[in-house]
Amino acid sequence: MLSNSWNNILDWFRDRSERSKLVRSFNESARNSFVGGIAPTLLKAKISKGESAYKHQFSNWLNTGYRIQAFTGRQLSKDELMHIGKVILNDEILVRKLVVLGWDTLEIHGDEGTYGCRWQLKDYIPLPKFNQE
Amino acid sequence: MNDTLIQDSLKVAEKVVAKTTENNDSSNLWMWVAIGEFAIIIGLILANRFKRKPNAKQQFKDESLAQEVDFNNIINSSFHSNELYDILKVKCHPDRFPTDPKLNEIAEKLFQEITKSKTNVKRLQELKIEAQQKLNINF
Repeated sequence: MLSNSWNNILDWFRDRSERSKLVRSFNESARNSFVGGIAPTLLKAKISKGESAYKHQFSNWLNTGYRIQAFTGRQLSKDELMHIGKVILNDEILVRKLVVLGWDTLEIHGDEGTYGCRWQLKDYIPLPKFNQE
Repeated sequence: MNDTLIQDSLKVAEKVVAKTTENNDSSNLWMWVAIGEFAIIIGLILANRFKRKPNAKQQFKDESLAQEVDFNNIINSSFHSNELYDILKVKCHPDRFPTDPKLNEIAEKLFQEITKSKTNVKRLQELKIEAQQKLNINF
């Protein structure tokens, strides 16, 4: 029991560090692409509340949403939101990382209006059923 | 005579005190070394005992975290993959090579790969080069 608690504490700190590293790396790349003229819009990732109905076996208790905000200065169309979402969801490595680090919801929205899209991450990666072992 | 005797006694006493404290210091040092060694041994035993047994869930997590994400490609793909995909899907369509079965087969494979990688600009660029080389397409 002591061993489990100790490992859980270590895991919690490691996950916190990995989570912030993932958000920071995304933001850094997005900023560099925007400044370098590669991306016409600045994207910014942050951690949001998430959707409790999308929970899976790796989900955190709180803050399970990975939100990407596009600073376009206008309301994004559904196709634009869907495209950004699809690019992220088609990257298997990123989705796997998001899932194992406790995120269960991907949210994309613009900086104007309240309209956005939301995906359930576990639909995009085959998760083995560990509890049945 | 008495004075010199007292002085000699004092000197001897000082020497004895100095010797005794010196011995105490060295014994203290060795005591701390022993305590340090003991702590290291206990630490190693505990670390070994608390060592996590590898389970499937942890292994899955470790494998997932070990991989590197290409964020630059993701950001680039978010804005430029549609454009490149639209060009490639037209230029590499198998219907453009109806007479040559060999080229048609290559185009078919390329087209499938292009459709699969429609949101990955890096892969699409690789496929564009492949199309230029294998199908002699000018973009």
